[in-house]
Amino acid sequence: MSRSARTVAAACTLPALTFAACGSDGGDELSAEDEQTLTVWAMGEEGKRLQDVADEFNQEYPSIQIDVTPVGWDQAHQKLVAAAAGGELPDMAQMGSTMMGEFIELGVLEPVDTSTFDQDDFFPAAWENNVVDGEVYGVPWYVDTRVLYYRTDLADEAGATHPPATWEELKELAIAYQENGSRFGISLPAGGEGAWQSLLPFLYSAGGTLVDDEGDPAFDSPEATKALEEYASYFSEGLTSTSVQPGQTVEQDFGSGDAPMFISGPWMVNNISEALPELEGKWAAVPLPADDAGSVSWVGGASLVTFTESRHKAAAQEFISFLTSPEKQADWYEISKSLPANMAAWEEEPLAGDPQLHVFEEQLATAGDVPAMPQWNEFAHEVDVAIERMANGGADAAQTAGELQAATEPLAE
Amino acid sequence: MAPITPAGSDVSSGPPPENDGHVTAAAERPRRPRLRGRLGTQHLAGWLFSTPFLLLFGTFMAFPIVASLLMSFTDFGLRNVTDPLAADFVGLDNYIELFGDETFRRALFNTTYFVVVGVPLTIGLGLVAAVLLNSGIDRFRTFFRVGFYTPVVTSIVAVAVVWRFVLEPRDGLIAGVAAEFGWTSPDFLSSPTLAMPSLIAMAVWRNLGFPMVLFLAGLQSIPTEVREASRIDGAGAVQEFRKVTVPLLRPTMLYVAVITTIGYLNVFEEPFVMTGGGPADSTLTTSLYMYREGFDFFHMGYASAMAYTLFVIVLAITLLQLRFLRDKTR
Repeated sequence: MSRSARTVAAACTLPALTFAACGSDGGDELSAEDEQTLTVWAMGEEGKRLQDVADEFNQEYPSIQIDVTPVGWDQAHQKLVAAAAGGELPDMAQMGSTMMGEFIELGVLEPVDTSTFDQDDFFPAAWENNVVDGEVYGVPWYVDTRVLYYRTDLADEAGATHPPATWEELKELAIAYQENGSRFGISLPAGGEGAWQSLLPFLYSAGGTLVDDEGDPAFDSPEATKALEEYASYFSEGLTSTSVQPGQTVEQDFGSGDAPMFISGPWMVNNISEALPELEGKWAAVPLPADDAGSVSWVGGASLVTFTESRHKAAAQEFISFLTSPEKQADWYEISKSLPANMAAWEEEPLAGDPQLHVFEEQLATAGDVPAMPQWNEFAHEVDVAIERMANGGADAAQTAGELQAATEPLAE
Repeated sequence: MAPITPAGSDVSSGPPPENDGHVTAAAERPRRPRLRGRLGTQHLAGWLFSTPFLLLFGTFMAFPIVASLLMSFTDFGLRNVTDPLAADFVGLDNYIELFGDETFRRALFNTTYFVVVGVPLTIGLGLVAAVLLNSGIDRFRTFFRVGFYTPVVTSIVAVAVVWRFVLEPRDGLIAGVAAEFGWTSPDFLSSPTLAMPSLIAMAVWRNLGFPMVLFLAGLQSIPTEVREASRIDGAGAVQEFRKVTVPLLRPTMLYVAVITTIGYLNVFEEPFVMTGGGPADSTLTTSLYMYREGFDFFHMGYASAMAYTLFVIVLAITLLQLRFLRDKTR
């Protein structure tokens, strides 16, 4: 208490001079019972829908008003950094899993009270993503993970009897699709921003990791080379397009049958049913094909964080508890279709009764995390560049792995 | 010689001229306070009138310019966002690193490519469009003028959507036309050799309306007498264009060349929306690389050093242009 009180006092002295934060009622931290307004930034679709849930919260806690500001994902990062620089951060925010490392490094996130939030309630990788040096900086709110989408009707035509369960079967199916007349067997990004997202399942399933236990990059492992080799082989064998088109969507080729497989997240379930209603019953989402380490995907999503300079930390904690409780998480799934990070919520309706969600639950249980790294953007960029070099430029996988290791070594800490 | 110094210089600075001797010095003494008072009031009024501009300029231009210059000598990174004064001075390290940076050299090369091909094309086509609009077409002149100028004021996002469709390798406009003739269209934006020319084509299309409008204004200010005289002397259309139109357009040409070159040296939007710098850095321009280093990776010190390097290049090229393209007819 004394430490946070001092932080708040220090934080309030400066802005008070410029009429900024710290309202008229003194500079002390408020308790959850006090009359107050909690400011929250939420991104994308969540930002548009959170206010409704916040009003529901307000009925239970009449003293706490919640003011939700929707922020677009494309500008969220910039806005948060600018706000951190200017001392204008809200009380709490939704934070994308890949942004955590950077903001932990900035020192603007308040550590989570682990006696209120229990690690065992959440998917392990989602929790792990918010931990740096044993300290937890965010409570997982919703999760996503990558699975394999494929066209079952075309698979039948191509003679496949079951979904591909191993790397070998995945490639066999891709070849079979192509022999059946599809332009490509699968759609994998050949580089460009975010290509790492599709490589990561290969890396994790092969038993590789992005960084080792010491936090150093681990691309020099035999598993990493194997994963890169496997990924690159789809390009060298002509099973997927080597073209890098920014803003390209996979749905179109999926619908036309030009690329009847791709790896993506849970939002694709809705995207496909909305954009391609004629495909009803002709596709399925299945766990990723397994390799030596099994079928291992990775966890994305968002956490809820409180900023150190907030005076409403107690209220923020109440609101976060509310949002991450199993019942509210299940409600939230109905509102936004984002998957609950709290595992108990999966026992609630409508999640428990939805067979299509089973694949995600299964995949989430084993999924790995994206380590919280201050220089994640740069790290991810190097992986994207390596993919492009192999896929589009035909570079050798082992050599690329070595170059990637050298390029990322200065970035990991 | 009048002892009153021009407004703006300090009255008391410098001794009075020798030849005025003691007379003026004595005569001046009682006048001085009054004069200073009057000038002081004038100065005050002047400063007051300039205040809005000076405040805005100081806050939004001068301060960031000086701050980024200082920043370019520091290792300003992510950590310094919340604690700017903790950045360490590293002297010229950023600049030294920059010249050893292969990606930066690549970006400089790409920018040069864009400027060397793009600027002459934009100005040349702008001039052709202006001449045609000025003398070739009488009806629909406004229609064409608006048509050529619309891309200049259209949002780059809308332009990108249209051009993505034009360049799309399977269902795009070019691919469609090529298919009519039984050809296959190359994958423009995914090819390291064709991506940059595609962006240049798009930039030329997007920007040629600007020189066109300026050239039109320039053409209309060329006196008809000069043209008539040249025609009486037996000049054909081509000769008239080369010997009359182009020389008399020189001042416009200088302005257009300088502005277009500066704009193209800073090229950012086209690769940002179309390719993101790829494939394989083939469309990574200096400004885009700067943006990536500064705002994606938060190497603000390094990005600032890049900004100042680009500034020096732009300044040097502009000075050269002013020197070689200035009006030599006078």
